[in-house]
Amino acid sequence: MSTAPLIEFNNVSRTFGTGDKKVTAVDDVSLRVDRGEVYGVIGFSGAGKSTLIRLINGLERPTAGSVHVLGQEISAMREGQLTKVRSRIGMVFQQFNLFHSRNVAGNVAYPLKVAGWKKPEREARVEELLDFVGLADKATQYPEQLSGGQKQRVGIARALAAKPDILLADESTSALDPNTTGEVLRLLRRANEELGITIVAITHEMEVIRSIADRVAVMDQGRIVESGLVYDVFSSPRESKDASFVGAALKNRPTSEDVRRIRGHATGRLVVVSLQNAGAVSAVLGQAVSHGVSFEIVHGGMNTTKNASYGLLTLALEGEVSAVEAFVAALNSAGEVQEVHE
Amino acid sequence: MIDTYRALDWSYYGPELLSAIADTIYMVAWAFLLGGFIGLAIGLTLYTTRDGGLLSNKAAYMAMNFVVNLIRPIPFVILIAALQPVTIYVIGSGIGNDAVIFVMIWASTFAIARIVEQNLVSIDPGVIEAARAMGASRLRIILTVLLPEALGPLILGYTFVIIALTDMSALAGIIGGGGIGNFAIVEGYNRFNPEVTWLAVIVVIIFVQSLQLVGNWAARKVMRR
Repeated sequence: MSTAPLIEFNNVSRTFGTGDKKVTAVDDVSLRVDRGEVYGVIGFSGAGKSTLIRLINGLERPTAGSVHVLGQEISAMREGQLTKVRSRIGMVFQQFNLFHSRNVAGNVAYPLKVAGWKKPEREARVEELLDFVGLADKATQYPEQLSGGQKQRVGIARALAAKPDILLADESTSALDPNTTGEVLRLLRRANEELGITIVAITHEMEVIRSIADRVAVMDQGRIVESGLVYDVFSSPRESKDASFVGAALKNRPTSEDVRRIRGHATGRLVVVSLQNAGAVSAVLGQAVSHGVSFEIVHGGMNTTKNASYGLLTLALEGEVSAVEAFVAALNSAGEVQEVHE
Repeated sequence: MIDTYRALDWSYYGPELLSAIADTIYMVAWAFLLGGFIGLAIGLTLYTTRDGGLLSNKAAYMAMNFVVNLIRPIPFVILIAALQPVTIYVIGSGIGNDAVIFVMIWASTFAIARIVEQNLVSIDPGVIEAARAMGASRLRIILTVLLPEALGPLILGYTFVIIALTDMSALAGIIGGGGIGNFAIVEGYNRFNPEVTWLAVIVVIIFVQSLQLVGNWAARKVMRR
């Protein structure tokens, strides 16, 4: 098997309209997704995520740059030529997009018919998939008889039916409640771990990235402003723009408004300490009294990603200036400390 | 009332009425089958060539749209007269049931084209996108996604058209065709036999109601809602 990336974008742009109405949905994006990984793309709505994911299976065409998927240049193929490669790319949608005229089994069987599977194999495969998503008893029901979470599980079964190499998840949990979201995310993770399928998930929910993604790209106004391992990106965002995005999404870095509110009750020096090594930070905090420093936890929290935990804690420190200075130095050896600017 | 109908000379009106009903069914059925088929093709063309459609083609859409708008508003009785030369050329005669069917095909084709287009427009585009994402060809999407997804409303639309065709067929007498409309005018109205006219009315009501019932039943069965 080749080591070439499964998906590769080279300086891809997609604009809509012309003249004054010209909108650049995707702006000079380059990225690569390797076999077997879960690649998350996060951003506010309108950031160009939907267009980005549709460039992968040719539902959208780039206006500049090239898109290579599964060793083929998708961006150079005509609609008619795309049918073959599309059957190797499953897609899950925010609004499920199930066929109302077909029952659950019929929905899951549809991509198999498209891919030319014979009836006995088709039936066996449908049964296998409904087992996988836990809906074996719903085969003869119609989509309108199912709950949102069940519909999305049918959507996932349908997307996995033809044994694709890649699964595209387009805001797959955004129409679901928190409990159902967890259920669908666990299913996506199982698809990745047990079936080895490569997943590209776009979302505006941090929860999705945290629980399934290996790598993440932060998208803003059509550009990828930051990318890397989920842990690295979220524990120490490099650019102020994603610091605000990630901060807003994680709610563990105080905004200027938070700081004003904190100042209403806490005096002293405000610092943010990274909890990459939470144990070490706790140990230092335990020695506060011996430093002659008192502290109050005024903001922050911890999050758990697929592989690790991280978080930020904002502290208000009181004491002699030199004592506080020494205490901050001790903290800094346990976890990166940043001053809070007011 | 019943006595009035007992008094009718059924040995005469019976066979006349039966043959009128047979003529109506003959005309409506052929116009419905052919118009329904051609109209479906034109409706699909309208839908798929519109902006953002599967076969998006502005020129084709505008041309087809213009033709549909041109023919559709023409009242049926004028269409009969206006199409006369074409009818004679194609059917070989400008009079009789077959000539009427020819004109009815035109009327139903363009009515159905619009109904098909309008019902397809209401399909969730996401469902079509899903089928495209699975690698389904455009023809397959049309046949196995578009039509099944819109089937319920389409059945109701076709029911509407078949009843409109029954209405049109009543004018057949103008160019020497038969049917229940002709029966009502020739045997009832012209001969001052109101009970015969009312007999035709009753038959038409039963005919139309049956069609509507079957249409509603089939649509409900398909939509299961």
